[in-house]
Amino acid sequence: MKINLSHFEATLLFALFTSAVLGVVTKKTDAERLKYGLTSFGWFAATVFGLGWLMYFGHR
Amino acid sequence: MSPYPPLPPIAKWLPVVALAWFVPGGGHFLLKKTYRGAILCGCTVIMFLLGLTMRGYMFEPTTGDLLTTIIYVGGFIANISNGVLYIVARMFGYSQPDIAGHTVDYGTKFLVAAGLFNILAVVDAFEIAAGRKD
Repeated sequence: MKINLSHFEATLLFALFTSAVLGVVTKKTDAERLKYGLTSFGWFAATVFGLGWLMYFGHR
Repeated sequence: MSPYPPLPPIAKWLPVVALAWFVPGGGHFLLKKTYRGAILCGCTVIMFLLGLTMRGYMFEPTTGDLLTTIIYVGGFIANISNGVLYIVARMFGYSQPDIAGHTVDYGTKFLVAAGLFNILAVVDAFEIAAGRKD
């Protein structure tokens, strides 16, 4: 079996799992973990969109 | 003066660290931190399996110039940090060439990231076992 993910799918999956792990290991309470994980995922996603548009305009 | 409490006896944390390396999330399960262990285990295993199904390259400890050494030895350390996942994949003969292409490239990064997740899990398990965090 081989899967082919797009850049967008791969980076969002990476962001999802990385945010979850960072939230679990860096914070002390469940509320802090959830907040950190969601914030971290949001920043990852925002960076993906930002860099995506930057590359789009950079290649025009 | 160290901000950390003195290290407990090695017998208290070494089995936890060893299990945490061998089985992703295993250290947390041993310490009865079930939910955290399940999240760490799930993230590591899924990342690793995604890396395998994307035909990611597993690093060999190659030395040469500084950059080559850092990338290949660092990548190898991250790969073996997957513990039993790495051992089983190798036992079943998983070996992919280091070829160009974004899918394979992401697969390689996913395999490395899974190992780095497990290193974070090992450190977290150690800190819990050593009484430095709950």
